[in-house]
Amino acid sequence: MANQVQKLSYVDAKLGVSLPGQQTTRVIYDSVNAGAGQGFFEFFTNFAGKNEFQTNLQTNKLDSAESMVIKSIQIIGNFAGTPTPASLANHLNLNVTVGNQLVIKDFDPSFNASTRGLAFDRLHSGANLANNLELRLLTDIVIPPQVNFKATLQLSDGANVAINDDITIIFKGYGRIFSAGNSF
Amino acid sequence: MSAQDKMLHVANRLGLTSLKDMQGTTRMVYDSIPTVANTFTFFKGASQRAFPLTNVGANGNQFQVDEALLVEKIAFFIPSDATGVTYVGTNGFQAVKFDLVIGNKTVIKDATCEAAGEQAFYNDGNAPSFVIDLEGVGILIPPQVEYYVVAKPFNGITREASAQRLGCYLFGTGALLNFNTTI
Repeated sequence: MANQVQKLSYVDAKLGVSLPGQQTTRVIYDSVNAGAGQGFFEFFTNFAGKNEFQTNLQTNKLDSAESMVIKSIQIIGNFAGTPTPASLANHLNLNVTVGNQLVIKDFDPSFNASTRGLAFDRLHSGANLANNLELRLLTDIVIPPQVNFKATLQLSDGANVAINDDITIIFKGYGRIFSAGNSF
Repeated sequence: MSAQDKMLHVANRLGLTSLKDMQGTTRMVYDSIPTVANTFTFFKGASQRAFPLTNVGANGNQFQVDEALLVEKIAFFIPSDATGVTYVGTNGFQAVKFDLVIGNKTVIKDATCEAAGEQAFYNDGNAPSFVIDLEGVGILIPPQVEYYVVAKPFNGITREASAQRLGCYLFGTGALLNFNTTI
């Protein structure tokens, strides 16, 4: 598969999406407010009561003429547990599902957290933070229009999660948004 | 040759005709042994360990049908304690000598992951690298073939054995099972 633009067109065409749409850089995100000791989080499945900075979606699917390629995944934690706050630099287990298909399986992105000489990327200047990491994917993963998707994250030190801690997951990449190409 | 090209080439040579239809992904497997030792065998017997010591699950040191990993990077880390929850990358000038074995074949032999290695092109802030990039495109671990890593930690300066806790990850382009049909 040559590049992300061609792959998105290929998958969309296979699924019968005929509108070309407006090409764009797409960022979607969802934030979960934790309970005390919560070690397992599910993203993009519950949008009730969240403000525009906690999520920019209303349902767990893209609109009928929208699709995207996930190129990188960022995870941000707001941890205030005492005496030891939870950390994204400890082992994690990330799974991403699109439709019924698992597209990221049992992935531990914690090696990209902070600068410990263990990052997956050759040039990883890093934020050197234990609560903010980004993972650049090696393959293009498509979220087609109108297909459910979700992400789950397990923290190995979930016992250190305090009530009202927050975890946000952000998918970034190339996308398409609706363009009528005509006047209404 | 791209990573995907190599995966398909090897799969084709092995008669794995359906791998081309599987879901492409970015994949990593890791295993850690939080007991101080001079020699470690990672992934073999890992099904007996649980997260966060490893992420291989019940399948242990082989992938399911039509799942595979093209190993592009190998790294070693040091669990901070017996729980394996926290870990560090470097411990002084710790280095690791290792073999990677897939099936009956040793595919990386007597290699070392040197402390502060790859500094010519690897930048993880100011931290010395504990990662080794595989030259060429990488090495494919096919489905249902056992793999393991034998590793021996040593001091990179004095070149003497140095007992440690140790962990290892294999990172690269992967394939996940996708039926591509209704069942």
